[in-house]
Amino acid sequence: WQKVIFLRENKDICGGYKFCACAVAQNSARTVLRACADGGANRLYHITEGNNESFLPDYISGDFDSIRPDVKEYYKVKGCELIETPDQDFTDFTKCLQILQKKIEEKGLQIDMIVTLGGLGGRFDQVMASVETLFHATNITPTPVIVIQECSLIYLLQPGKHKLHVNTGLESKWCGLIPVGNPCDNVTTTGLKWNLTNHVLKFGTLVSTSNTYDESGVVTISTDKLLLWTMGIKNKQNA
Amino acid sequence: MERVFTPLECLLPTGNLTFCLLILNQPLDKGYFHPLWSKAVLRACADGGANCLYHITEGNNESFLPDYISGDFDSIRPDVKEYYKVKGCELIETPDQDFTDFTKCLQILQKKIEEKGLQIDMIVTLGGLGGRFDQVMASVETLFHATNITPTPVIVIQECSLIYLLQPGKHKLHVNTGLESKWCGLIPVGNPCDNVTTTGLKWNLTNHVLKFGTLVSTSNTYDESGVVTISTDKLLLWTMGIKNKQNA
Repeated sequence: WQKVIFLRENKDICGGYKFCACAVAQNSARTVLRACADGGANRLYHITEGNNESFLPDYISGDFDSIRPDVKEYYKVKGCELIETPDQDFTDFTKCLQILQKKIEEKGLQIDMIVTLGGLGGRFDQVMASVETLFHATNITPTPVIVIQECSLIYLLQPGKHKLHVNTGLESKWCGLIPVGNPCDNVTTTGLKWNLTNHVLKFGTLVSTSNTYDESGVVTISTDKLLLWTMGIKNKQNA
Repeated sequence: MERVFTPLECLLPTGNLTFCLLILNQPLDKGYFHPLWSKAVLRACADGGANCLYHITEGNNESFLPDYISGDFDSIRPDVKEYYKVKGCELIETPDQDFTDFTKCLQILQKKIEEKGLQIDMIVTLGGLGGRFDQVMASVETLFHATNITPTPVIVIQECSLIYLLQPGKHKLHVNTGLESKWCGLIPVGNPCDNVTTTGLKWNLTNHVLKFGTLVSTSNTYDESGVVTISTDKLLLWTMGIKNKQNA
């Protein structure tokens, strides 16, 4: 990752937390903007306990119904921007992304990826809301947005051809292609153990889960519709 | 024809709901495991679900023997498998890699329901909504297949979430057991729904489209009626929160 933005969500990110936190520290020179969506600030405050001052987000946005008052006060005093977004038609995640894109444009930054921590655990409706935000993200930012929590990553593939390099050494065995929201009538892949050739992916017909990689280290996917890619991240404990 | 349903009825300590229990490979919730186990007429584990059962019944495993354990057996611990085998539980190996352990377990369950001539109101699945994201999606996929496997409604519960796939048509959900937490949602997970109408929600829909990228109903909640009605033209996933005993 060249330049990365971290967006932290208010989710229970226990297990993979250390992995993500270490990744943050290592890539921090390349992380250009950091934000929290509402209660994500509580998570940040907790994981940086004892050294909160060295981990100040650029801004915290949300309707502020999850952020703890003491946490909010702490970051406010430290000069973090607090942006209240009361609009109930969109989630804190979506609104945080909108603000992020505005700041990217204001600062004239060249960004390769937006990394979101959290969003895949806890309440089922909120997991689905994270997926929904990825659908909206297409209209919010041209930058790819990934969501990571514990050992899972999700990324929404636009219609067209994609080449994913999966040889960082951090990939765990599993991956999948999930036609969330709409069937895909024509999907072709290479690099997977169970590849597809002009196949339909559709809930009730075929959903690719518990798939895995061949030895090439590269996965190509061609899809006619939006298609959710998901993969596992090696946990440091069982790396 | 309207389907009437009380999603959390199985968690009520009393009542005469007849249901089967299916345990998947996710941590079991102490809060409602015991009431569900004691009232179920048939109990099964899908592969590593047996590990979870063994763990939560530690010290008294003998009193919690499943009717059968099925799967490709790549997750069940050898010692757990041996324990239940010795105790006389049926072990059914289902190596087919085209279907998940959950789907195959459901197929076997339906066969046994028919063989025993049981009248079943609901199939309650524990687990399936946490852990690996692809496996959560696989649980949803199984609900799609369930329509062709069994006429009995199948619900999936883990921690504070429940999911249930609504068939096209009209539904009336009773949400006044006292066990409902505030949130609920309608998720057009596999296909857009072109015509959804609801009552009983804080944010109702009237002949509305539900579609990823357009509108997905999450963080919805109830009005005071205690009843939610949903009319949908396509398959639509209902999801709701269950009160946790700790924050009841």
